[in-house]
Amino acid sequence: MPSICFYFQVHQPFRLKHYDCFKIGHDHSYEDEPKNREILDRVSTKCYLAANRTLLNLIKKHRGKFRISYSVSGTALEQMEKYRPDVLRSFQDLAETGCVEFLSETYYHSLSFLYSRTEFVRQIGKHKEKIEELFHQSPTIFRNTELIYNNEIANFVSNLGYKGIICEGLDHILGFRSANFLYHPPRNKGIISLLKNYKLSDDIAFRFSNKAWKEWPLTASKFAHWAHQVAGNGECINLFMDYETFGEHQWPETGIFDFLTHLPGELLKHPDFNFKTPSEVIESYQPRGEYDVHALSSWADIERDLSAWLGNSLQHDAMERIYSLEKKVKEANDPTLLDTWARLLTSDHFYYMSTKYWNDGDVHKYFSHYNTPYDAYINFMNVVTDLEHVLEVRSEEKELAAIKELA
Amino acid sequence: MLGWEFPPLFSGGLGVATYGMVKALRHSVDIKLIVPSNGGSASLSNVQIIGLNSITSRELSHEQMHFSLDELGAEVHRIPLSVSPYKHVNELFEKNKLDEWDLDVEEEKAVESIHKIFSDTDVYGYNVLRKVSLYTKLAEQIARQSEFDIVHAHDWITFAAGVRIKKNSGKPLILHVHSLETDRAGEHTRNAIYDLEKEAMMLADRIFSVSQYTKDQITKHYGIDSSKIHVVHNGIEPGDTPRKAHQLRDKLVVFLGRLTHQKGPEFLLETAEKVARVFPRVKFVVAGTGDQFGHVLETTAYKKMGGKFIFAGFLSKAKVDELLSMADVYFMPSVSEPFGITALEAAQHHVPSVLSSQSGAAEVMKASLKADFWDTDKYANYIYALLKYRALNHELTENAKAELDALTWDHTAQKIWNVYQQLVFRN
Repeated sequence: MPSICFYFQVHQPFRLKHYDCFKIGHDHSYEDEPKNREILDRVSTKCYLAANRTLLNLIKKHRGKFRISYSVSGTALEQMEKYRPDVLRSFQDLAETGCVEFLSETYYHSLSFLYSRTEFVRQIGKHKEKIEELFHQSPTIFRNTELIYNNEIANFVSNLGYKGIICEGLDHILGFRSANFLYHPPRNKGIISLLKNYKLSDDIAFRFSNKAWKEWPLTASKFAHWAHQVAGNGECINLFMDYETFGEHQWPETGIFDFLTHLPGELLKHPDFNFKTPSEVIESYQPRGEYDVHALSSWADIERDLSAWLGNSLQHDAMERIYSLEKKVKEANDPTLLDTWARLLTSDHFYYMSTKYWNDGDVHKYFSHYNTPYDAYINFMNVVTDLEHVLEVRSEEKELAAIKELA
Repeated sequence: MLGWEFPPLFSGGLGVATYGMVKALRHSVDIKLIVPSNGGSASLSNVQIIGLNSITSRELSHEQMHFSLDELGAEVHRIPLSVSPYKHVNELFEKNKLDEWDLDVEEEKAVESIHKIFSDTDVYGYNVLRKVSLYTKLAEQIARQSEFDIVHAHDWITFAAGVRIKKNSGKPLILHVHSLETDRAGEHTRNAIYDLEKEAMMLADRIFSVSQYTKDQITKHYGIDSSKIHVVHNGIEPGDTPRKAHQLRDKLVVFLGRLTHQKGPEFLLETAEKVARVFPRVKFVVAGTGDQFGHVLETTAYKKMGGKFIFAGFLSKAKVDELLSMADVYFMPSVSEPFGITALEAAQHHVPSVLSSQSGAAEVMKASLKADFWDTDKYANYIYALLKYRALNHELTENAKAELDALTWDHTAQKIWNVYQQLVFRN
């Protein structure tokens, strides 16, 4: 009885304002609030509200048979609370149906696992609290930023008590095996790896509106037909994608909402098929083998590696610089300062610095508000330089206070 | 092919470009290159280089020579030699017309006088118009006795010759624009050189521009039909130069070029002041001189910025190389720069560039930091970042080197060859 497992990623970073060298030491506010508000407004109208409405109707229509999951970053949730409470409300409405599961991730959508386990754990905890507070459920499935994954991450997350982890289904690891079964990391049956079916996922997320694609136009019945072919040769079809696929990446004019509206009905036409959320999938099926991943992988680009965030020396430098401040920031014992620092850990800041494919001016450019990756790096580093300055002043003040106390 | 600057004599990018191009083109085309002066150091197989400084009477036909000895003699109205060849060219043109140099002489003495005029080590100099006039007539003569399929002329100094040869021979004319009067003298300039450029470009069959930027300038300021303009970027001779450490504790920002309005010295000053405010351990090295030198010097003194500047004057190629090998940033704030080959040379020395967006180099070197020529805040922010964040320096220079590998003269020659073929087989 194969299950369709939908997971949608919702994320917004706190984008930085134009911050040149003249502001260092004088201006300690870093964010471009008008831009963040403007982008959230746009995405809310085009995607979040429209897609939430569609999905809520589908859940009601199919009376519990249509089930989905989300992972929403803490930075996205905060911006919704601040700028668009109506959008947050619509996610809460979905949560209240009992058919929607919310996954766990790092609050700041960061690559912290690679640089600081302490910070990684802190962010997961902070995110978990936020999910409990807003959606009244406690996540049991973890998804790391951009599906960054290997055995080490899976084992670490397993130790934190998670039952499942989301990852990319990599052909070279799977070999002749199928992503449509559950697996577990080598010698660890304590956690289940849910592998993305990248072919079917990308048919929707990337190819849907591509007129050069031989399958265009993609209809719900055609897609359901493909999915149904898994019957007898798979237990779960994991369709993982950015939520912005609906309305933002694939515009409404492409017919994406129409497709979405008809998809559950078409999939359920096959009597053996059903929908399950990730935690329901791992309750229902047994792992069929080991999924052994040593090198870090992700769901990004054709390489499915970390090169979009750590592909050049700018990105490495910026990443090392910001993480080098962790100790000082935490010693300052100031929640606002800690939050300011942690917001700079969001993966998007490093993605903007990617020079990969930059010459082709493609998808990377689409997601960046900077003219060039160099501008992204310079702006970020100027901000980091100011933050370093702020930390220095703080520690001097502390020393002075200590001296005064002695006197 | 009609050229002006050629090794070993050149004062700017034109000589470097002409040489590189001819060297690559000669493998597919027979070239007869006429230049004012052939120092002899540049000999290339399959290229016949005619330097007017050593032309023989055999190369000129008797019956068609009409030169005036008077005009060729010492009676040249001498204008004080300014450091900028271009500025007084404009003044000259306003006073004289090309026709006034129509000459008429006996053969022997004429040849001698011609040699004398073109033996000047300054290919421009106070008598540049006189050289242009003579060059035009002589090139026309040489062309009458030569067999060729295409006339290819470089910059305004050879345009008149190109036009005459086209008229006489009926062969297609290609004008190669390395620099425009609107670049040199300001975009609103409408003088005799401008007129010459415009008329020649209207008549030309094709135009090569050294950048998209220059192509845009030609259509914008000269109203030339863009469909006959082909962008042919310059190349660069491959090379890799080791870095040298310098003894100074300050970081070095290098400015190379004539100190004329075109090169943006006022923006250099403004930027330097802003950089020094946020990064005091910096020195701006200015290599080059020009009519704005006094102004720049006075301003630095007035602003008490003297300590932030090193004025190196005009430097030889070897000295420029040495300077670049020690530089931390190359800065080119030009108001209008058709190409800017120096930015590419800086990249060969592993020096990252901050460039004016109003330049050709900015379009071929994606791995550089660009701002509008007047945006000194942005320039300063970029220079600060390069001085402060080493990874940026590293990333830019590595990427720029990779870009340079694609900018070969062979590539340039291929583009030129394609247009040659179109023109020749059209007829």
